[in-house]
Amino acid sequence: MQHPHRRRRRAAVVAVAFALALTGACSVPAGDEPGSEESGGAQPSASSGTQPGTSLVVAESEPGDLNPGKQITAYDQVMALYTSLTDVATDGTVTMAAADSVTSDDATTWTIKLKDGWTFHNGEPVTSSSYVDAWNATAYGPNAWANSGQLAEIAGYDDLNPESGKPTTDTMSGLAVVDDLTFTVTLSAPDGQFPLQLSQAQTGLFPIPESAFDDLDAYNLQPVGQGPYMMTEPHQENEDITVVAYDDYAGTAPLTESIVFKNYADTSTAYNDVLAGNVDVAGVAPAKIATAMKEFGDHFYANPAPGIAFLGLPLWDERYDDVRVRQAISMAIDRDTINDVIYGGQLEPATAFTPPTEPGTPEGVCGEWCTYDPTKAKQLLEEAGGWSGEMVVTYPGGFGLDELYKAYANQLRQNLGIDEVTTKSTADFAEFAELRADAKLEGPYFSRWGALYPSQQNTLRAFFVPGGGGGCTNCSASQPDEVVDLLEQADGQVDQDAAIALYGQAQEILAEQLPIIPMFYEKYMFVTSDKVSDFPSSQGSPVWSQVAVSS
Amino acid sequence: MTVEIEPSVTPAADGSVVRRGVWRTLRRRPAFWVCLVAVALLAVVAAWPAGFGGLFGGGDPYDCDLLESAVGPGPGHPLGTDLQGCDIYTGLVYGTRTSLSIGLLTTALALGIAFLVGTTAGYRGGWADSVLARVTDIFLGFPFILGAIIILNSTGDRSVLTVSVVLAIFTWPTMARIVRTSVRQVCDAEFVAAARAMGLRSSRIVVRYVLPNALGPTLAVATITVGGVIVAESTLTFLGVGLQAPSVSWGLQLASAQAQFQEHPHMLLFPSLVLSVTVISLIALGDMLRDALDPRGR
Repeated sequence: MQHPHRRRRRAAVVAVAFALALTGACSVPAGDEPGSEESGGAQPSASSGTQPGTSLVVAESEPGDLNPGKQITAYDQVMALYTSLTDVATDGTVTMAAADSVTSDDATTWTIKLKDGWTFHNGEPVTSSSYVDAWNATAYGPNAWANSGQLAEIAGYDDLNPESGKPTTDTMSGLAVVDDLTFTVTLSAPDGQFPLQLSQAQTGLFPIPESAFDDLDAYNLQPVGQGPYMMTEPHQENEDITVVAYDDYAGTAPLTESIVFKNYADTSTAYNDVLAGNVDVAGVAPAKIATAMKEFGDHFYANPAPGIAFLGLPLWDERYDDVRVRQAISMAIDRDTINDVIYGGQLEPATAFTPPTEPGTPEGVCGEWCTYDPTKAKQLLEEAGGWSGEMVVTYPGGFGLDELYKAYANQLRQNLGIDEVTTKSTADFAEFAELRADAKLEGPYFSRWGALYPSQQNTLRAFFVPGGGGGCTNCSASQPDEVVDLLEQADGQVDQDAAIALYGQAQEILAEQLPIIPMFYEKYMFVTSDKVSDFPSSQGSPVWSQVAVSS
Repeated sequence: MTVEIEPSVTPAADGSVVRRGVWRTLRRRPAFWVCLVAVALLAVVAAWPAGFGGLFGGGDPYDCDLLESAVGPGPGHPLGTDLQGCDIYTGLVYGTRTSLSIGLLTTALALGIAFLVGTTAGYRGGWADSVLARVTDIFLGFPFILGAIIILNSTGDRSVLTVSVVLAIFTWPTMARIVRTSVRQVCDAEFVAAARAMGLRSSRIVVRYVLPNALGPTLAVATITVGGVIVAESTLTFLGVGLQAPSVSWGLQLASAQAQFQEHPHMLLFPSLVLSVTVISLIALGDMLRDALDPRGR
């Protein structure tokens, strides 16, 4: 494993199923257009509360850790058990969930007021200490909780994670309890995107009740949250997890009374079980998209997700120094046809460096450089002095990416007239990450990012700020200084419009230099049984409490 | 995959009697000719893929047009195209060389080890025999597919050579046993005793008198092994641990067709058909050879 810090990953059945072995940010792209029932996200539908006797069976893989500070493969379960402070819809609208307000004048000190009357599943009231204590525990280096990195911007985080030795304190100086329902967070640098960071997939920022600290191992098996659903018994490895509606939930009551997260080792088995009617929801692997569209019709969903797929460029190889070579590579790839053939037309060709679910994404910024034009591509390559030698397109094996990268390679070979374009898949993700870290990849390579909170900040940081994604498993090999500067300026803006303008400027520079090639905006894809009558999603992931079933 | 047989050869000083008898038996069987023609055709295709690949207009297995993805059989593409728009017929033609190379290379490697081990064990006898027999047992005890998957998964670059070597590691023991048995039988023959009495060196006796007589039954099994190895290679490649792109192989074609079977059955149909015909021909040929060598087994 690489450092667990700042791994961002969206919760999605697809992501979990495919990305188990992929460390952190590297789940596999899934597919496109929303299904017939596009949803604005987590907004409560005008419902009549929990329908007694209803249940939903969801195909999952073994979740591992369930403690929100530790989990990296249990997003669906944990997001059903807890409610985040803020909530972000697919269109990027931020609403307050468990928080009453999140405010700041300078983007450095944030005041978070909680809604009154919330309780954990064990009856314990949710107070500002529930957050402060949880965050301190998650950030505490010796605990080694995987989601620690989500708190790295809070002042005092470094004290809990010294480079060597044991930390001398176990609390972050940036967290202060004001009263039962108010606390302040001081960041080490201004960050206007903080409210987005408090949203539903950043599980490292969830509260933990006081009683949990008596036995954290037990808590990891049966987390007690303040969300719409609760667990009634501890999880046993490789067993299904059943959650039931929490009667005293202070938010919008869940529609379905219970959800069973059923354990599957294999996605195609899960898919077949949805067909057979044994399971209600399952993720769809890329190779199955065309079949799933046909077999499920209206019950096939492609949710726009905050993920984006790039084609990385080995800029340590001087043959890629000329921007015209990079433009030629980008223009030689027919994204539309690849999308049609390999993803059943469900993805969306990328025209910017961040996915459109991240507010303010300047779609089209990549312009003609991201538009298929084989003639011009060949011409640009010739102007740059042509090509000599091999080009080995490399990607991690075992994630169903073979057809996609074969298609890239075929198009580069044919449209650029380079005979020696081949593909190579590594044995697993670890091998790929090692080759990438050592700059030993011999051609364009796999690169993608699924953001945990939908802000351009998240995606751009991961690729273009040194150390921004917690290591660099598939980041851009070039991180221009002017982009780093602009991102820092953008982060400092309290006003979202000002921030967006600056992120946009950074993307314009990226489009000019093209250090990495935008390929596809991702979608997380699901199929559901006929029983599921409404399947709302937010940022790609299903909003479990608002999934409606007919009984 | 391979079948153990009880060899029963009429020992002859130069093996000529055996060969003539075998040939007379074989040539009367029509099935033999069918299989032989099939195998010969495959050999020619493997030797000269460029000539066959271009017959219908294609000719380059890497010439794939995504816009012609997954079209069914038709003009220009007699067997249709795969998901990437590559001509399936051309892929099959070029895959023949890969499959036969692996089959032959693996069998040759395995045969080499088998002769070395089998002859030493059979001719020397005593403790050498015991030790080698146990080593053979150990290798036979490995579950073949599991062993191959483990080794191949830990090798970075999987080329025709590496796959062949891994497959050979698991194929030699059966043949080594057969060689040993044959050698033991020949060792007791009078002409070997005579050669010893004349004071010939062991190496000369083995090469000149023992091996030629032990060769027949082993070659029959080797023919069957070639077929078995081709299947094994396709299986491993299908599972994603065998050959990798940019190799062109039937296993790779099958692997990528697997997910498309419901939508585009032709992608899976033709490669599996060719694979089946090849393997059946080779195995049937080996089987008939064995029958001819050992009439009792019929």
